[in-house]
Amino acid sequence: MSDHRPNAQDVPITGDELVETYPGLPDDVTVLERPGRPAETVPSEDVLRADLAKPLEHDLYTHQADALEALADGENVCVATSTSSGKTRIYALQIARNYLEARARGIESTAYLLYPTKALSRDQERSLNDLFDELGLEITVRVYDGDTERGRNRKRIREEADVVITNFAGVNTYLHDHDRWARFLSACDLVVIDESHTYTGVHGMHVAWIVRRLKRVLDYYDASPQYVLTSATVGNPGEHSSALIDESVTVVDEDGSPTGPRDLVLWNPPPRDRDGSHDGRDEWTEADHDEDTDGDDALERVPATVEAPRVLSHLTYHDAQTLLFTPSRKLAELSIKRASEHRHDNRRYYTHPDRGSALEPYHAGHSRAKRHGTEHRLKTGILDGVASTNALELGIDVGEMDATVQLGYPGQRQSFWQQIGRAGRGTKRALSVLVADHRTLDQYVVSNPDYLLENDVEDAVVDVDNDAVFAKHLRCAADELAVDESDVGTVAERERLERAVEMWRRAGQLQGALETGVSYTGPPRPQQSISLYATTGEEYDVRLADDVEDEYDPEMEPLAKERVLRDFHEGAVRLHQGQQYEVTSVDHGGPRPTVTLRPTDVDYYTRTRTDVTVLDAVSEQSREIGEFTLHFGRGQVLVYHGTYDKVAVHGGTKREQGIPTDNPPLSMETQLCWLEVPQRVERALIEKYRDVSIPGLEDEFADTAHLGYAGGLHAAEHATIGVAPLELMVDKRDLGGLATLSIDSHLEQPAHSESAAGPDVSAGDDAPKNIAAAEATIREIASGLERDPTSGWFIYDGIDGGLGFARAIYENFETVAERARELIADCDCGNTGGCPACVMDEQCGNDNQPLHRGAAVDVLDHVLENEDESALAAHLPDEDHGGDRRPPLFYA
Amino acid sequence: MPARAGATVLALPPSVIADRPVATLEDLDRTLEPDAVWVLGPEREPQAFARARSTFAAPAFHPPLETAGNGPLSRQVIDGGVGGETASLEVAVTPGLQSLQAAPESVSRTLAVDTDLAALVCDDVTTTTRPTALETDLEGTATVADAFPTGEVTTLLTGSQPAGYDALWHLEPDTGAVRDVDHETIGGVGPLAADCVSVRVRGAGPAEGYGNGRSIASLQVTPGGVTSVDTHDVTDYGLEAVTGIGPKTADRLADRGVTTRAELLETPVETLADLPNVSRERARRMRQHATVLEVGEPRRLTDESLPGADWHEPPLCLDIETDGLSPTIIWQIGVYDPASDSYQTFVERGDPSDPGPVLEAFCDWLLGMHPNRALLTWNGWRFDYRHLGAFIAKHVPYYTEEWESIPKFDLYLWAVTEEHALLPGRTNELEVVADALGYEGAGTGLDGARTAAAYQRFMRTGAELEWERHEAYCEDDCRALWHVYERLRDAPRADDVSPANGAPADDDTEQTGLGDF
Repeated sequence: MSDHRPNAQDVPITGDELVETYPGLPDDVTVLERPGRPAETVPSEDVLRADLAKPLEHDLYTHQADALEALADGENVCVATSTSSGKTRIYALQIARNYLEARARGIESTAYLLYPTKALSRDQERSLNDLFDELGLEITVRVYDGDTERGRNRKRIREEADVVITNFAGVNTYLHDHDRWARFLSACDLVVIDESHTYTGVHGMHVAWIVRRLKRVLDYYDASPQYVLTSATVGNPGEHSSALIDESVTVVDEDGSPTGPRDLVLWNPPPRDRDGSHDGRDEWTEADHDEDTDGDDALERVPATVEAPRVLSHLTYHDAQTLLFTPSRKLAELSIKRASEHRHDNRRYYTHPDRGSALEPYHAGHSRAKRHGTEHRLKTGILDGVASTNALELGIDVGEMDATVQLGYPGQRQSFWQQIGRAGRGTKRALSVLVADHRTLDQYVVSNPDYLLENDVEDAVVDVDNDAVFAKHLRCAADELAVDESDVGTVAERERLERAVEMWRRAGQLQGALETGVSYTGPPRPQQSISLYATTGEEYDVRLADDVEDEYDPEMEPLAKERVLRDFHEGAVRLHQGQQYEVTSVDHGGPRPTVTLRPTDVDYYTRTRTDVTVLDAVSEQSREIGEFTLHFGRGQVLVYHGTYDKVAVHGGTKREQGIPTDNPPLSMETQLCWLEVPQRVERALIEKYRDVSIPGLEDEFADTAHLGYAGGLHAAEHATIGVAPLELMVDKRDLGGLATLSIDSHLEQPAHSESAAGPDVSAGDDAPKNIAAAEATIREIASGLERDPTSGWFIYDGIDGGLGFARAIYENFETVAERARELIADCDCGNTGGCPACVMDEQCGNDNQPLHRGAAVDVLDHVLENEDESALAAHLPDEDHGGDRRPPLFYA
Repeated sequence: MPARAGATVLALPPSVIADRPVATLEDLDRTLEPDAVWVLGPEREPQAFARARSTFAAPAFHPPLETAGNGPLSRQVIDGGVGGETASLEVAVTPGLQSLQAAPESVSRTLAVDTDLAALVCDDVTTTTRPTALETDLEGTATVADAFPTGEVTTLLTGSQPAGYDALWHLEPDTGAVRDVDHETIGGVGPLAADCVSVRVRGAGPAEGYGNGRSIASLQVTPGGVTSVDTHDVTDYGLEAVTGIGPKTADRLADRGVTTRAELLETPVETLADLPNVSRERARRMRQHATVLEVGEPRRLTDESLPGADWHEPPLCLDIETDGLSPTIIWQIGVYDPASDSYQTFVERGDPSDPGPVLEAFCDWLLGMHPNRALLTWNGWRFDYRHLGAFIAKHVPYYTEEWESIPKFDLYLWAVTEEHALLPGRTNELEVVADALGYEGAGTGLDGARTAAAYQRFMRTGAELEWERHEAYCEDDCRALWHVYERLRDAPRADDVSPANGAPADDDTEQTGLGDF
């Protein structure tokens, strides 16, 4: 590309200019100007020893200096600053410092660097080696992971490398042979957890345990390294880091790196019929259907998958080097093609169609050599633009762009800022465009720009309370080093540790006592049974059918059993990275269960119907929110994805309904949070909505006076789960809910459990094994309750043992409720029953009925104390006539 | 076979019986000489049972198949050699928990009257782990508590728990609720209380993690109960015992009428090499190993000298004992010096909380008295050297460098991993190999796990070990190692062996030719 920029100054096109020059108008566009920030620096010599400061070309940014000083004081540090703010340099300099000090004392100093991906590991290996060369230090940095050549090469790395780079799956495995690493571990002064914000949910929980196991082994070798965690901006960097490493952490988040001003453009594509510049060509629309689209109700806009490549093309035409982020590999490829087509279809406007047309796709499906080539051409300015998956979101060095375009909201503010941080050359003006898709979150974000600009981002949730995961890692720990008294209080509190040891002893897998040491005696290498993406170890590999070419390989992470039962039953059609796949078989048995897929091209997708029941919930914590009571606790959730529907991609009509999945129901012991609505609010709202009827609702309770209110609870439950990702780094599919008119029936019944449990069955076995039986139990309990039950809704972690999300919602309930209220009240669907963008949930086991937006907003208003007493009084019946018998209604 | 403590019961999963040629089962029968064969339940597998009955000389029983009547309990009489005399003992067999549940009174009467029953077999008793609750349950505790006597220990054998499982569950007689579980069975067990049902659950099922459908168990049973449970790999028997023959090749050989090692030796290399995926080299190796197994003599496969053979003094034979697989102490280090035929031992009998003194004494002696000797172990890179290295670095760090510079040899690595020799003996465990090579052991009745468990008890309770016995065990291993070393040193090359039953002459020529390059 020839450089047309006059002075390589600011981005050659501003947000306003983009809107003015773009052929065809977006429907709705907001241009926000974000001010820049000058660099704040500290002279290197103030912080570093002279022999390190001298070779450095630049001063240190203040956050780098702060972090290095905290490290010098012996603290652990979490650096949560923007993309390209020089986080790597912090730990690189600390490694150099440790190395020089150790060398002076004639000893060794090593560092263990843990990256989330293999690609990043190799990228960082290069840049660290370069930096140490620059500093004139002979520090050996080597990657040691699954791709490292076996044999002598590995031995040499273990015995010689100063810095070893790997990932957590590797650490989990290598801990088994820690004695081979004795030299490296004994000398370890620094452990770095890079991109630590990526460790949340199930994965984060495993990482937290692997870190604890690593710490035991380090302790055995008398090493007590410091920890550096680098994180994208998350809401709770200190809390999250401490949870991961189980030590106190100093947070450094005052970013001293410079940024230029930025034009942030929120771009909602025009409706299809107003999309004057093109006809809706079939080849474009074909792959663009998204499961979240609902063709009938929602305003049908040009999909982001079409609009975003056009914006990319337009920007590069105007000399802005641009990075387009796409949600899938296939879309990265397709976007390049579309960008070029856009150019050629608008020759009248783009009179020099070849200007700024050096574009390439980038994703992890490409070979390493090819990716390096693209990175290099991007860095050197040969390329005008790249369409990439989030592979370029995490740390890989490609230099700085003029502009970014996002094809759809990436789902999290954290990720949003991380991606747009790729644009901005020093203090020059940059441009970032978010092209919204039709989905709930996208539409929420473009109509509530303030949400993006608020200072906080999502909290990263990591939790070590899941006993199933703890127990699995305990076996590994005992295999690595005998578990004994010294582990009390560090691995777990005494009671929990003793219970887990006794459980495995009774099962014949551990031997010995804490006083003298507990060894592992089960099948060899318990580390292999750790699945980093599942809690109970039942993890399914995703494979391609034998006769299908490799290019279609979906390359999906293994799936937890809970997900397989819901979304990957035989006959399921899933859209993954823009490609439809049909599940041809599911093998539940064998040492490694599998799901087999084949690519397909059909005009429907599948959706399971889910029945959910909560049983025996026990409150462990509760708090008052006004007159409402919020609980956190544990209980059993029975989930049954018994049937599925085939739903037309266009129009959303059901082609076929109630096809059996042949799956067994899933029973989980998990963590729950639930809200109890006070009687007064309930009575008033029942009265207010007593005339609501839902046409076509096939339910024995269709005529009850409670239906409108129940629809409100149901809608509020859907909405609180729907907005949870706005506050927490959670996949909404890991959460489930149940709205009920009788919370009490779902709680543990002391009398019941005593009489019903036979002497020969354990607590876990007496629970009903199928949904019908469970629901009958609930109704029976409801009829036997002595006092009027309270109504409300449950939110649970959809993974056996729990993930900590329900707890996080418990702790942040008001904020979540506020978001849910906004979502429902501000939706312009105009339907009482809502739309997929507000309260409808495609997984709903009750087919999204009954739902009532108005009643939901009222309930949430009372939680948030937006409504005063008079609003209640208007509807409260004059006297407590207690006339309407409360039906035992509950909706998932 | 070593001296027997009682009758031998062979516990076989049905799949093992169904999947193996009759010749393999016959080899099992000849080698382990069972006095009874237990075809494991709880699944009903009449065909496997019939196959066992028609193959083994001893009586067979399969609990789900009520061959001995319809009652909740039948008796299985086992005639076995006890102390050189023929004696008979009995075990009670039930088809399953349901049968016990149906007639608890009759069961308790039987158990009360027949106090000489060695054990009760019930194949569907199993443990279930519930990790989210951090609990392990025992299936059927209520039934068992209802039927079993209080105030004494009843041994219950089950094929649903892996061999090696041994725990004493104390149950409330009325509800079956678990009062306590004893995991330490070394040194005898007793009931918890007079009003408590104490069940010692012992597994005889396949050990996990060693491949599917291969693990079998043999039990030594005396009138007092079960004295030991050992596991074996069924692929160490029959044709599959020969290196290079897996189940598929064994099947193909069976199709050609070759089902025993003797028949294999009569089959020309050409015929073997015609089998799919069998090279000439592999075919030759099969025959060589079969010869070694049949003749009971080791053979060397290369001209490579034994590790340390060219030293002016032989290596010191080393063995260590720890308190478990993740050791907290190396409490015994034994060294046999072949040069002086003397044995030296270092044992921590006093303070097990300090691993230092034993290591220090060992290093003082080794570095001070024998500075120029090499060490020899059996599989030491996986155990002895590995743990010694780690412990010395931690507890006597000043000797670390010297320790690391001592030449260390591993005879197992040389013979098995590097394939310099073929060993007789069905497994490559030192005891088995030494036994096959005619080593007369001290017969301590111990193994690594037992001696570790005994030391663990000492650490916790201060209960003294039978020190001499445990020291004799360690010494035995050191001397056995030297015995194997000498036999391997003197062994001829495999190429020079004339196969039994006269192999075709061209085959011999071929082997010599290949060996001479």
